[in-house]
Amino acid sequence: MLGLALAAWLLAPIGLKTLVRSSFFEMTAPIEVAGSYASDLQKFWALRLHSKDDLIEAGRDMARLNSSYSLSVQENGELRAEVERLQALLRMPPDERYRFEHARVAERDFSGWWQRMIIRKGSDYGIPVGAPVVYSGGVVGRVAEVHAFTSVVQLTSDPGLRIAAVVDGDTRPISFQGAENQVFGYPKGVIEFVPLDIYASKSVPRRLATSGLGGVYPPGLTIGEINRVEPSADGLFKTGEVELDPRLAELTEVTVLVPVSKE
Amino acid sequence: MRGAAVLFLTLYLLRSLVAELNSALSGYHLWLFAGGLFVTYSALAMPFHEGFWASILGGLLCDAMSPLPFGTHAGLFAIAHTVVYNTRERLQREETTVRVVVALVANVSLFAAISLMRIGAWHRAWDEWPRMLSDLVWSQAVIALIAPWFFALQLRSLELARANPPRPA
Repeated sequence: MLGLALAAWLLAPIGLKTLVRSSFFEMTAPIEVAGSYASDLQKFWALRLHSKDDLIEAGRDMARLNSSYSLSVQENGELRAEVERLQALLRMPPDERYRFEHARVAERDFSGWWQRMIIRKGSDYGIPVGAPVVYSGGVVGRVAEVHAFTSVVQLTSDPGLRIAAVVDGDTRPISFQGAENQVFGYPKGVIEFVPLDIYASKSVPRRLATSGLGGVYPPGLTIGEINRVEPSADGLFKTGEVELDPRLAELTEVTVLVPVSKE
Repeated sequence: MRGAAVLFLTLYLLRSLVAELNSALSGYHLWLFAGGLFVTYSALAMPFHEGFWASILGGLLCDAMSPLPFGTHAGLFAIAHTVVYNTRERLQREETTVRVVVALVANVSLFAAISLMRIGAWHRAWDEWPRMLSDLVWSQAVIALIAPWFFALQLRSLELARANPPRPA
């Protein structure tokens, strides 16, 4: 019986396996999404317990933040126009444009084997496979699977994810990969092919950002902080350790950058 | 196959609960694996075919949510089910303690098998062992805690659906 079942599965066409996988995923999705909505409702009622004074104070803080962000938006618009003018002068290809799709996190799956999360938006919002996912602290990861109403995001701390990165203030690309995530510790990553003249330590960390190479992530997004580099075994490059933002494991909302050209 | 369907529903509930728990524990980098519970009751208490299909369907449920090649959990659960089923006559399988011990042993075996499959994806496999060990220890503790409840739930669900197999004489 066991042999027959295994043989049948091995010989089954890929299309059938994909269909069965998709069906089983969609079967579990309502529970995850319902759990996420229940959690949101719980937070809503918890916030309702705050006094009106708290609300007024929060509103005042928000107004201050809004005014400073409005200024930044104006500056950003001017800088963008300047970049586009220079690109036109130099006949450079235009940068990839993105549409921001904000999504709530329905479930986090942070095992030692893989690091993924499920978000509450899928093909119903036009999210494509491979789209970069970001939050206020930088890169979250990339969309690995898209389903009808949910998507699976592979995180930067996942050992299976590689990103072309650069050290802040340097243009030479290096390779970043997710690494071990110790219990009660912070998520980590490793870097390879680091030029020999790059130095970093716990006391003097260096910011690691996306390089823009590979076409998935826009350049300049923070990945983490390099807190250790050492010469690799071949002596040609250095390898190092990257400390990722601890908030990565507790995110409740992320933004998917949907490339406009793919729509 | 009513028994298999009822067991599958209990496995669906178990997977949902474990997933919610893992989501809540993600900030501490703790993760629980309950694969042993997916096969134990069906292998110890059910006729082979019904239990086998329940284990496979439970495995497919886990496969749908994991990045492993689809069918990995199902295949491993099918193997574990067959091994446990073939040894059950030598065990006091009506005893809850025996069932819990079988669940713990099955869980360790399945955890080790999946860890071996994932070694290739890790940058430095040796650095991963403290996390793996910690996940395993916490998983075993939680299984020891919830297994009696879960077996009782499976038994009660089968009774409600009138799909409980006759007790051996």
